[in-house]
Amino acid sequence: MSADTPQQYDVVIVGAGVSGNTIAWQLGKAGKKVLILEAGVAVPDSREDYMENFYLALAKTPESPYPSIAERKSTPKGDITIADPAKLPTPRATVLGLGKGPDQSYLVQLLPTGKNAAPDQNGNVRGLQFSSTYERIGGGTSWHWLGTSLRELENDLQMKTKYGVFEDWPVTYPEMQGLWAQAEQAIGVAASTVQQEPLEGVGLKFPPGYQYPMGPIPISLVDQTISTAIAGMQVPGMLDGDGDPTMYDVFVTPTPQGRNSEPYQDRRVCAGNTNCIPICPIQAKWDPTVTLGQALDTGNVTVSYQSVAVNVAVEGLNATRIDYLVWSSDANGNITKEQKFVSAKIYVLAAHAIENAKLLLLSNNKDGICNTSKQVGCNLMDHVLYLTWALIDPNDNPIWGYRGPLATAGIESLRDGAFRKHRSSFRMEIGNEGWNFPSGDPYTTTMDFIQGTNNAQLNGKNQRLGGLALVQQLNSVLTRQFRIGVMFDQAALPQNRVTLDEKYTDALGIPRPHIDYGLDPYTMEGFRVAADVCSKIYERMGATEFTRTSVGQTGDFTYKGKDYHYYGAGHVMGTHRMGTDPDKSVVDASQRSHDVPNLWVVGSGSFPTACTANPTLTLMGLAFKSAKSILAALAY
Amino acid sequence: MKKLILVLAAFVLHGSARSQSSPPPIVLSPAIPSDVKVTAKTVSIDAFQPDFDVYSWNTFIALNWPAEPNGNADLNQKIGAKSDNDTVWEHYRDVRDVFLPGGKRPTWNGPSEAPPVPVKGYKKGMPVITQIGKTPTLLTDASQPFNTGPLIDQNGYYTRFQILINKSMFDYILNNSLYSKAGQKVFTTPVNFTCGSLASSKKPEVEGAIMVKSSWKVIDPSEKSHFHSEEVVVCSPPEKEGEKPICELKTMGLVGLHIAHKTTSASQWLWSTFEHIDNAPTDADVKSGNLKARYNYYNPKCDAKDCPANQIPPRPWVPAAVSSFHSQVVRNDMFNLPIYESSAKARNADAWALLGSVNPNSVWKNYELISTMWPTNPGNCAAVPGDPLCNPAPTFMANTTLETYLQKSNPPQPNVSSQCIECHNNATTTAARPSDFTYILQRAQ
Amino acid sequence: MTPTPGSAPEAVVQDFADMSAALTGFLSSVLKPSLDPVGLARIYYEFALKQVGETNMSNVLSAFRVIKTQPPQTIADTLLEVNKSDPSPQANIVQSIVAMWYLGAWYRPGVKGSGGFGPTPLQVVSSQAYTNGLVWKVMQSHPMGFSPLTFGYWSQEPGPLSTFGVNTGNGGGQ
Repeated sequence: MSADTPQQYDVVIVGAGVSGNTIAWQLGKAGKKVLILEAGVAVPDSREDYMENFYLALAKTPESPYPSIAERKSTPKGDITIADPAKLPTPRATVLGLGKGPDQSYLVQLLPTGKNAAPDQNGNVRGLQFSSTYERIGGGTSWHWLGTSLRELENDLQMKTKYGVFEDWPVTYPEMQGLWAQAEQAIGVAASTVQQEPLEGVGLKFPPGYQYPMGPIPISLVDQTISTAIAGMQVPGMLDGDGDPTMYDVFVTPTPQGRNSEPYQDRRVCAGNTNCIPICPIQAKWDPTVTLGQALDTGNVTVSYQSVAVNVAVEGLNATRIDYLVWSSDANGNITKEQKFVSAKIYVLAAHAIENAKLLLLSNNKDGICNTSKQVGCNLMDHVLYLTWALIDPNDNPIWGYRGPLATAGIESLRDGAFRKHRSSFRMEIGNEGWNFPSGDPYTTTMDFIQGTNNAQLNGKNQRLGGLALVQQLNSVLTRQFRIGVMFDQAALPQNRVTLDEKYTDALGIPRPHIDYGLDPYTMEGFRVAADVCSKIYERMGATEFTRTSVGQTGDFTYKGKDYHYYGAGHVMGTHRMGTDPDKSVVDASQRSHDVPNLWVVGSGSFPTACTANPTLTLMGLAFKSAKSILAALAY
Repeated sequence: MKKLILVLAAFVLHGSARSQSSPPPIVLSPAIPSDVKVTAKTVSIDAFQPDFDVYSWNTFIALNWPAEPNGNADLNQKIGAKSDNDTVWEHYRDVRDVFLPGGKRPTWNGPSEAPPVPVKGYKKGMPVITQIGKTPTLLTDASQPFNTGPLIDQNGYYTRFQILINKSMFDYILNNSLYSKAGQKVFTTPVNFTCGSLASSKKPEVEGAIMVKSSWKVIDPSEKSHFHSEEVVVCSPPEKEGEKPICELKTMGLVGLHIAHKTTSASQWLWSTFEHIDNAPTDADVKSGNLKARYNYYNPKCDAKDCPANQIPPRPWVPAAVSSFHSQVVRNDMFNLPIYESSAKARNADAWALLGSVNPNSVWKNYELISTMWPTNPGNCAAVPGDPLCNPAPTFMANTTLETYLQKSNPPQPNVSSQCIECHNNATTTAARPSDFTYILQRAQ
Repeated sequence: MTPTPGSAPEAVVQDFADMSAALTGFLSSVLKPSLDPVGLARIYYEFALKQVGETNMSNVLSAFRVIKTQPPQTIADTLLEVNKSDPSPQANIVQSIVAMWYLGAWYRPGVKGSGGFGPTPLQVVSSQAYTNGLVWKVMQSHPMGFSPLTFGYWSQEPGPLSTFGVNTGNGGGQ
């Protein structure tokens, strides 16, 4: 074991993502010396490398621009080869690895059975796959966040008090309002409070006179078309009449977004590349490398890349050092590693919800640390994603998808109500990218009409076309495709959890995360209601729904006699939940560990409930709060 | 034949084209070409590129012509006759004198903004350079996320940059109140700078909008014979937030020159780029070991492992200090057709011979044309905005001092690698409206 | 190193471009403009040639030359054998040429997709092939990840299909 460079650090942070970079920046600004240990490779000098990966990728998944990359040529059988996670130094969950065995999937999970999973005697569907993915690179997962920067609703933070379910957050709404404002400034969120006013009824409130840093992003033609069609629409809180007799308004609201509506932070204005996920070519969309740059500019922050934390040593009540491995890989993929350790006054784990849990469980010779509550790794949540898609009537005007940012508006008006006693709530994201997400279009439909297949379901007659006939047919359907993605605030269940796999490791010998996951009636009832709302929307639009269920892959389940298919939203939460009671939570409201007071565990893993907003804005706000508490602790 | 005429009609033909079998010669003239003169007899990139490269050299010579104090070309002098000379383009308006604090109305001829702190040796009218990165930022903004990273020379000094615009471009900004955020907010018609055009029987010649971006390196006075140089006040942001900027008088040598010119043949502008001949070796030079003894931005004695090429200097970036990190720059080959390099090489040889005929010690012989980027599908210059899908040639082009970190060995990447027109197409005003391929309007306060 | 363009004769590449124009429904002057900085027609010709071999490519071009004066739709329908229930191996190759122009990637002739998704291509030909894919013009938009448009364009309708290079006229694919 060798010590790191002789510098004395005030704080060591594990992970150069949103939370880690935000905290590093705040600490560096205040003159504190910070070391960031980042498991993955450095931020490239220009995003050229990542763009090249994307353009040449055989499947344009969220991970496609980022290392390690899948093969750029398919096998003769048409498979894309992805590396065995056991041979990689920093493998991570990928879309290409979903539903695959441990030789392709970093997360060790049960394989899908090929049949729709049905509920057990408790109504739970177990043995489902956790479908969200993440990155382990300089800048972190939010390289490929969409940019959606919604604030939570008042009742999101007080589910127990208000609805008697789950937990209250240990932070108040007014405090969060201040933290969201900081995050919105740091990111550069484009929105207008005037446009958000109709949502006051569901508990979205701004302090009087609040101004977003930039004016709003214009909504798309897809948004406009849907908005017009659903004017005056209302839906009941519950499908079977009991529990919530209220009728709720259904309307479209422009989405506050972390992309530029004017030049900001020396970054360009959004040009509608329609590629936010996986990567904005011109960085009009904020990503954590912006904040990392600010952190480095303070002169007080150092980043050590390819440095994987493997142990947080705790003696008594104090974390005393972090052991880590510095890896390198030669042209043949041979990995070498060097053991190091570093000490500081305060330690911060900001490595992502799953990786934080893994590190906590791994520490102290796999006995685990910070776990009096036994909640580390438990309460794994996602905003489970229900994707629906439809086609505008060929006789109606096109809806003009595949244009603009991936999403510019959504239906937020159904996110709160008495029904939350009985079923999960949801928001509805309107997609601007046609059927790209559900069907891999335009590729699938194009090949259907060239080869005479019907994979995307638009070529029922198995036509084969060429020339102008092909142009006109493709034009007709591609300009009429659209999709709505529904995201649920999944219940926090202790049995949905991350543990250390007993068998599978990565190339550094570190155990990989083992996932146990499933859905519960509270969550699934939300699906049922949402499916109905979507169908009603499509009906009002005169559009034909094409949503497929029973895909035969990971994500199929049956509930009350109906089949559903879910995806992951990439919002990984809950694995080190925050709370006031050290017996029931891992960290406090500042994300400081109850058990080890000089250790902070930060990120969306701290969320005690999933809430209804995409998590990035909130987790960044909480990072500002954590930074403040760390500075207070250092001053003490 | 019909196709040839249609295509050539998009490019204005020079009257004597029919009698020439090679591109028009480069001339020693202070007359700035108002547009390219196409003499090509066939429609192909190979045939057209030399005409554009000739245009670039004629523009370079005219812009670098000795200037009278009022900024007009001095017709009694010749470029390089005294080895070096004060140039016409240096009398163009620096953008820091156009986009003033408070959105104050600028003047064409008024005194240049003084340095922000007193400087020993400063004389009124001396150029003041405040840009450390290619993208202009406010001097007082201490945390500057350079998009492209600073360029640090072999002595540890930061390369400095300037942007200047000609009267045509300045007048458009002035007359349309685009020099302030408030003015840009209410300007809703598309920004459309004046298109240059050659004289015809119907209309006189029009110069059109020209913008110049220059890159400068600190030099020792003993090096002045190898550079065009200026005495300049160089300012750096303070090392700590809240402190004052640091400004010093320095002798600076020109190492790079971008010239962008809006013309009738090119509503997406013509983009010419020149470099000092000692800036950096090419990939091929490095591979073959055919290296000069000294470069401005490359250490031939440091190998690839210790000095990896084209790496952005580690942060924090402190332009006021002498850096221990020196940029190791290599010119990556970004061209997909041989004509770009061969045409530039031929035009360079012609130009140097011409410049040498004025004075064998002309400092201007130390500059080479890299290439000229032009839209092959230009469309109508009067109609705006210029369609960026104009199929530019070459597809990628970079100046090692200005696009150091956007180079890429083959193949370069669309929309991200150095492609003037595509990147500049993202340029907007502070009100997010398209700004006709220039980023300078974002500087408005 | 600046790559030297391949050695295929210009006339052959022109035939390939003219055939591709008819097959794709676009103008030949769009696929192979007289001022051609990218040189996509040549890049595609040489790539396809490597995949299918001299004989096959030669047969395809010969079949085109025989009918090249016919209307473009007729050329497309004939070479693609759209009325046959089972296209020949040669027609499958022609399909892959169409797919390459549309999607910037080479799809193995005759290999189809399943499970709700199209087939995986052998490879994307190049990043410029991706950004010049015709399918994005067909939908009156731009490639995902490459936008030449400006802020706010998405709240307005796009221009008509004819402005995207499609051959909406009846003249031969010129």
